Amino acid sequence: MEGLIINILGKPEGIIISQLIAACRFTIYLSLIAFVGGGILGILITFLRIIPNKFLNKFSFSYVWLFQSVPLLMLLFLTGLGVPRLLGYDIDPWIAATLSLVIFTSAYLSEVWRGSIIAVSQGQWEAAKSINLNFTLSLVLVIIPQAFKYSVAPTISFLIQIIKGTSLAYIIGFQDLMLLGKRWANAPVPGSEPFIIFPIMAVMYFCLCYPLAVYAKHLEKKILINN
Amino acid sequence: MFELRFFEIYRSQEYLFLLFDGILVSTALTIFGGIFGFIIAFILAALIYWRVFGISFISTCYVDFIRNTPLIVQIFFITFGLPALFGYVWPFWCHALLALTINFSGYFAEILRSGYESTPKGQIEAASALNLNKKIVFRKIILPQTIIKMFPSLSSQFIFIFLTTGIISEIGVTDLTHAGLFIDSRIFRSFEIFIVLTFLYIVMSLVYKSSLEIIFKISLGRRAL
Repeated sequence: MEGLIINILGKPEGIIISQLIAACRFTIYLSLIAFVGGGILGILITFLRIIPNKFLNKFSFSYVWLFQSVPLLMLLFLTGLGVPRLLGYDIDPWIAATLSLVIFTSAYLSEVWRGSIIAVSQGQWEAAKSINLNFTLSLVLVIIPQAFKYSVAPTISFLIQIIKGTSLAYIIGFQDLMLLGKRWANAPVPGSEPFIIFPIMAVMYFCLCYPLAVYAKHLEKKILINN
Repeated sequence: MFELRFFEIYRSQEYLFLLFDGILVSTALTIFGGIFGFIIAFILAALIYWRVFGISFISTCYVDFIRNTPLIVQIFFITFGLPALFGYVWPFWCHALLALTINFSGYFAEILRSGYESTPKGQIEAASALNLNKKIVFRKIILPQTIIKMFPSLSSQFIFIFLTTGIISEIGVTDLTHAGLFIDSRIFRSFEIFIVLTFLYIVMSLVYKSSLEIIFKISLGRRAL
């Protein structure tokens, strides 16, 4: 694969592009880890937000509020530079980037999912109660299957935000598409000028994100037609 | 085990001034970027909505491209790519302003476009039954409803982009994050300084949010009822 690209595009460009494509891998890994981890944490937070318990509701509300207001950049700085210096030992960029993206993702996704649970009409809760289902059962058997279809499109749209968010992780030394591209753009190699490298990187990010955007739009339209 | 030494930041007048300057720069760039971006977005969304031949396709491509690439790549391209290509020299903040304007315009255009398209068809038909022309229908019926309906989305998008503006410090703009990184390089209290920055960003976003709401209430609130 790498040899083929180098053969087609010639020496500097071929090497750069094959390296950038290889670095895309880490962007995708980080996005998927953040999505899965943030999703699991998000489910927990969503659950805490809708169970009938005032204290836990307030706690999860403040969690969502706080981490929606904290810039992702600051989360990265705090986990990647702040905490290591405070505690006096190094934290791997992988861990710091994963941690901050998981927190960031969980706050936004739980907001999305809470919205789609609220979108299911109140009558469904009452109907579930009338056939003697308890809270958890009515949530799992009645509400979530219906809320699911509302939540898919915005969840996929948010995945785009995560992929774009991973580009910030280079700031704490995470080796992904962004860091490698920036390094090439700074390198005094003819054929790796900034006005060549950055558009290539933009196209790569676009190729990662745009299919998701199209799919999310398609799903949204489907839901609109069904309603 | 460890101690928090916030006083090293606030006892120094120099650092406080730096942070204050940073707040001003961040605010100015975000607000002007938002305003210019909104103006461009307004034109783009109208072009897409009216299906102007050829131009609407280009505008759609532009909006999709901006929305599906990271802000940081756009900033780097605008700051290091374009000047190298065309051979002009601008101060850093101009590049940052241009990048933010472009970024804002893409997101706002998408919001405005979906607002225009969600105007009920019946209203437009009723207006054309009254023999109102396309311009008046747009100005008197589609636009006010869109702005009122989409104001929450616009303002939350504005806040969201504001929260990512910290990366303009990467190209050397002396914004709030840049001030923080500078202080960090002087006193090596990273944790404390980033907590302070986070706090300042949260306060600023709250101030923006409430002032946008006030602007909304004063200008359009009565119509929204």
